[in-house]
Amino acid sequence: MPRKKASNRRAFWRRLRWSVPTALLLWLIFRGPYNTFLAFSAEKLCRLFENPPATRVVVEEDKAVIGREDMRTGSGWLGYSLTQIHFNFIPTLALILALPGWRRGEGWQKLVWAITVLAASHVLALVFHVQFFFATSLGPWSYATYSDTARNVLGFLQYFFDIPLTFTLPLLLWVGLYWEEVLDLVGFSGAVEPNTQGSAP
Amino acid sequence: MSRSLRQFLKTPAGRFLARYAVILAVAFAFIALKPVNDHVVNPYTTFVAHEGALALRLLGEEATVNNRILSSRRFAVAIYNGCNGLEAILIFACGILAFPAPWRSKFLGLALGFLGIQLFNVVRIVALYYTGVFKPAWFSTAHVLVWQSLVILFAVSMWILWVQRYATQKSQ
Repeated sequence: MPRKKASNRRAFWRRLRWSVPTALLLWLIFRGPYNTFLAFSAEKLCRLFENPPATRVVVEEDKAVIGREDMRTGSGWLGYSLTQIHFNFIPTLALILALPGWRRGEGWQKLVWAITVLAASHVLALVFHVQFFFATSLGPWSYATYSDTARNVLGFLQYFFDIPLTFTLPLLLWVGLYWEEVLDLVGFSGAVEPNTQGSAP
Repeated sequence: MSRSLRQFLKTPAGRFLARYAVILAVAFAFIALKPVNDHVVNPYTTFVAHEGALALRLLGEEATVNNRILSSRRFAVAIYNGCNGLEAILIFACGILAFPAPWRSKFLGLALGFLGIQLFNVVRIVALYYTGVFKPAWFSTAHVLVWQSLVILFAVSMWILWVQRYATQKSQ
């Protein structure tokens, strides 16, 4: 059993060397259509709560250009890098593909779940960028339309989706969805209790 | 809460994940507080900028730091939240704190991991500086795409190595 674990570990580090470029290649291939999907979904989601609907999110190269149709042409438009939102696709996919035995059982189904959760987090991240921009950067209109509380809540949500969630989702999805394989990899499976001598609960 | 989720949370893996998510949420909420940001995160980011400048001076660059901006006559980089390596440290440190292991192993892991991630972050800053000097058009891609992905992978790899080397070693 320990020999199998050691070979699993070696396989993981070996596979990580090609899973990173593979994930990067897949990201490069799908980036264009995915950017369009993100901008379209975020715009639709914002417009669901507007009357009349006025949010515009369009893709220009790698940026989402955010603005409102009911403002003068010269009013503020924000360009935000979409790569900053969805780069975490690369470490997530790289970790999953490097995991020995990830295709076992419902492995592919779990991969679809991981991508779905990532996509949902990306759409919400863009939505909160849009809302935070509207709440803080459109001068008197922002102050008339959004309360201080709304600005604080949107600021928190923007931060949460921009940094904590973006950086931690790869590990959370990897361990959460493939926990049997991951725990097997690190030597912490159900059959093997970890070394807890002297540890706090 | 479904029965399968309750059962999962009773397993060692479930307990680890739940603890990890809670500690991580608390840690990120804590560093987002304005007093913590002003008195801890910003000075730490300035310290990281000084580390980067020191490394660049060792490589022969005339690098200086003004607030959180590292600059020379050739290029300048501003180091903000998200670029200071704190996220990688939190991902790693929370993984250690949530994992059932002896406190001695945890302290050792925290100390070594902190140093390792610091070193990695200095390499990242130096690499980004030279990317800006020699290939400015690649800077944005290198910054957002390459190095942020590598930072996450590095933190996760450090955690895996720690668990394998120190946390579960005696159980095998």
